[in-house]
Amino acid sequence: MCPGIATDHEYSEQELDRIIQEAVEANGSVRDAVIPILSEINQKLGFIPVESLGKIRRYINTPEAGLFLADSHLYAVASFYQMFSLTPTGKHVVRYCASAPCHVEGGRQVIEALQEQLGLQPGETSHDNQWTLLKTSCLGVCGVGPVFLVDQDIYGNVTPEKIPHILAKYR
Amino acid sequence: MISLTINNQTLEVPDGSTVLQAAEMAGIAIPTLCFHKDLSPYGGCRLCVVEVQGTRLPMTSCILPINPGMVVNTESEALTRYRKAILRMLLQNYYDAGYKRNNGKLGIDRENELAHWAEVYGIDIEQYMAKKPAFAVDSDPNPFVWVDLNKCIQCTRCVRACAEIQGRFVWSQSYRGYKARIVAGSDTTMLQARCESCGACVAYCPTGALDNKMSVSAGLADRLVRTTCAYCGVGCQLDLNVQDNVPGRRVIRVTSNTDPATVNKRHLCLKGRYGYDFIHSSTRLTQPRVRQYLLDSAPRPKDRGKWVDVDWETALRVAANGLVQAWQAGGSDAIGILGSGNLLNEESYLLGKLARQVIGTNQIDCCAHIYASDLSEHLLDAAGIPAMQNPFDEIASKAGTLLVIGSNLTEQHPVFGAKIRQAILRRKIKMVVVSPDFFNIAEYAALPLYPKPNTEAILVQGLIHFILEKHLADHAKCQMGSEDITKLKEAVAKYSARKTSDLTGVAIDALYEAAEILTREPPLSVIMSDGLADRTVARQNMQSLINLQRLLGSLDTPGGGVNFLGSQNNIRGAGDLGSTPNRLPGYQNCKNSTARAKFEQAWGVALSSAPGLSAWDMLKSVSEGKVKALYIAGEDALNVSPDGGQARRSLDACEFVVYQTSVATETARYADVLLPGVTFAEKTGSFTNAERRIQMVHQAIEPIGAASPDWQIFKELAKRILPSIERQISPAAYSNWDYTDTAEIMQEIAALTPIYYGVSHSRLDQAGSLFWPVESEEHPGTTFLQTAYFEPIQNTFIPIKLIVPEGYQTPILTPV
Repeated sequence: MCPGIATDHEYSEQELDRIIQEAVEANGSVRDAVIPILSEINQKLGFIPVESLGKIRRYINTPEAGLFLADSHLYAVASFYQMFSLTPTGKHVVRYCASAPCHVEGGRQVIEALQEQLGLQPGETSHDNQWTLLKTSCLGVCGVGPVFLVDQDIYGNVTPEKIPHILAKYR
Repeated sequence: MISLTINNQTLEVPDGSTVLQAAEMAGIAIPTLCFHKDLSPYGGCRLCVVEVQGTRLPMTSCILPINPGMVVNTESEALTRYRKAILRMLLQNYYDAGYKRNNGKLGIDRENELAHWAEVYGIDIEQYMAKKPAFAVDSDPNPFVWVDLNKCIQCTRCVRACAEIQGRFVWSQSYRGYKARIVAGSDTTMLQARCESCGACVAYCPTGALDNKMSVSAGLADRLVRTTCAYCGVGCQLDLNVQDNVPGRRVIRVTSNTDPATVNKRHLCLKGRYGYDFIHSSTRLTQPRVRQYLLDSAPRPKDRGKWVDVDWETALRVAANGLVQAWQAGGSDAIGILGSGNLLNEESYLLGKLARQVIGTNQIDCCAHIYASDLSEHLLDAAGIPAMQNPFDEIASKAGTLLVIGSNLTEQHPVFGAKIRQAILRRKIKMVVVSPDFFNIAEYAALPLYPKPNTEAILVQGLIHFILEKHLADHAKCQMGSEDITKLKEAVAKYSARKTSDLTGVAIDALYEAAEILTREPPLSVIMSDGLADRTVARQNMQSLINLQRLLGSLDTPGGGVNFLGSQNNIRGAGDLGSTPNRLPGYQNCKNSTARAKFEQAWGVALSSAPGLSAWDMLKSVSEGKVKALYIAGEDALNVSPDGGQARRSLDACEFVVYQTSVATETARYADVLLPGVTFAEKTGSFTNAERRIQMVHQAIEPIGAASPDWQIFKELAKRILPSIERQISPAAYSNWDYTDTAEIMQEIAALTPIYYGVSHSRLDQAGSLFWPVESEEHPGTTFLQTAYFEPIQNTFIPIKLIVPEGYQTPILTPV
């Protein structure tokens, strides 16, 4: 999906199996559970290893009951949503809003500051696997733009000056 | 019905129609790309926009349901402008690399719907298409499907074709926005994404982004020849794409056509769509051959000696001499004839006539029955019919439950297998699959059962036992008298769940569950194939399934029945037309003097009433010296054998073997004379598929080399045997062998075979297909065949002498 990705992200097969099993138990082995399950993996591992698709399929695919779920279905979902990543990300993922309302509130300066301070272009991951910078569409909190996310935490009314303090919390 | 107005024309259309469908009914064409009438509508390309009174913007007609009183306009200056803009936008992401061998010309390979509409709307493709490719050309290693995503316009027809027709779900549209593209599986190769290479995605691709790899850059065909596939009993219709401007003409591609009257419509399988290269294979036999010793009148060397290419006259003379010598030494039954389920109907008939009229023996059988028993014969005994009761679509649309037993459905009969997958996905019907091994179709089974080999009949006894014990069968529907039910109860009494489980290796719980599934939703459709044909148990397999179906009342029910699908494409026709050791054409018993008299009168000769040996026994009696000569026509006798040892020994021991084939296979090593026959692409005639559907085979190319249509070889051989054989053949209606074409042979078949009575080539060409029995020239054919059509059934309960095989244990493969 993006250049400059880290490739040595570690997780064990057992860990992945456990995450999927728990996610399936929590959400049910039905088609509707696909997004919550993918979400769970993405949160726990920072990305969705492609082999998890086959594992999820084995839980949900029940052609004998008229439901066929193939790897292609899961891949289509996992690759469609920006909140999912199919490639390893850094320990922390910064997603900045690139939509118009944030832009007019000074978003560009924030983006440039983020890029400079992290030393990353959008889509890149740092060599120490600490940071991934991604751009995203509207996060729905336009009233407090410019806005960006660090992992699950949202920061509004951001100025270039505030960025070092925010990032420091995660270093 | 809803009324609407399209282009000032008012019409009534059925509820739930879309504007596009309504327009079609009114004879108005609207341009489309992502829409295909075989697939669910998608509304992605928007080329089908129309103006609807009262709406602000143009609407996508393929997904627009009709409201009463709707006023639609399909053509206007504004719409043309919109459509042009849409085409230009689609072209922005389209790049035609003009594959090298096409001399850089665009769109030369195949029909391209995008190019077609661009031309219609006056848009120059080269001007508007992308300036450089975004993807590698030929980006997937699939040996049959060519992938060039540069030509992909994201119409998703491939995604829908794979899901809605083949039921394999290989493709998806992944990513989004500018990055959106077609992805196989989790962005793997097609084969890794479990592709079966059926080519449905290729058949529905409008632009050639997906194409037939074997045919890329082969250019356009000069002619399309509609014919019947020669691989399995489904009998798909396909178009052989022929180029005339190459020596001998050449089949460059196989395509399929959306013709709703055919079995397959646009679908085909890997075999039918891509397995045609044998036609032009370098291993084709192109010249008759005889062994040197036969030309020298020398004794036969142990290894039969050296081959010599000869002309037809010499080969036919040598073949006829050898057969006549065997006849003189041991009588009619010293000659064994092995026909094939690959021959045309007309050819099977002629081969039977050669055996019965010319040689005077009933010793003719199909190669397929060397190791497998003839299940048709057992079906005839048990139910009075030799073939499927239902057409495929009837099963797919009406069966309440499925029992697939002894059939690797998706590999043996792939297009029917795909229909069954769809029936399960769409109608949510349940299926039980019974086979000693994991077969692909078991993936869709509510319950797969893996009994030990050859214990299927015992399994069925156990199921009947449990069904009776728990009163699971619907009494009102049962097709057995109460006395017969009592007898059945007694017969299955000893097959308790525990005993059945011990004998079959199937868990008791699974037996209970199976009985419950099979009785829950009538009618039950039993689909079976050669997995049940082992000679030792074939009879009891068929009998127990008929008992089960009578008990459940699913026999003689549309969508139900016992449906036997033979393994070869025309094994049905071969059986229909006399390639069996005890039946004259039309399943008329050779012991029946009335039936025999009809043929004796027609052929001008007395016929033998003694049934011949089956293929298996024929080969066995070669070693005993009873059968001295074999005539093997149309099939590799050794290749059909799971254990070729016995067949090899028999062929090796046989004094004289004539082998007629299009490709020299291993059987040729044991032959004295090789007669080059042709493939289905080189002759005209008919095949009959498993559902009793008779369809035309049309010649597409000239025979390769000196090869000759098999029926002509039979004819010439008969003419050369007749003068030297001492049989009294008097002139009669059909005593001679002066056929000019297969249509004439079909006339003779129709005259003598009641179930083919109304069949002729001209009628087949006109109607596309006919289901036998076709009782008169006006008779429309019989799509549903009642039991006891051929022979009356005395008892509704069939007592079975069960053989319990022991000592088998096979590993079970599990799904990936």
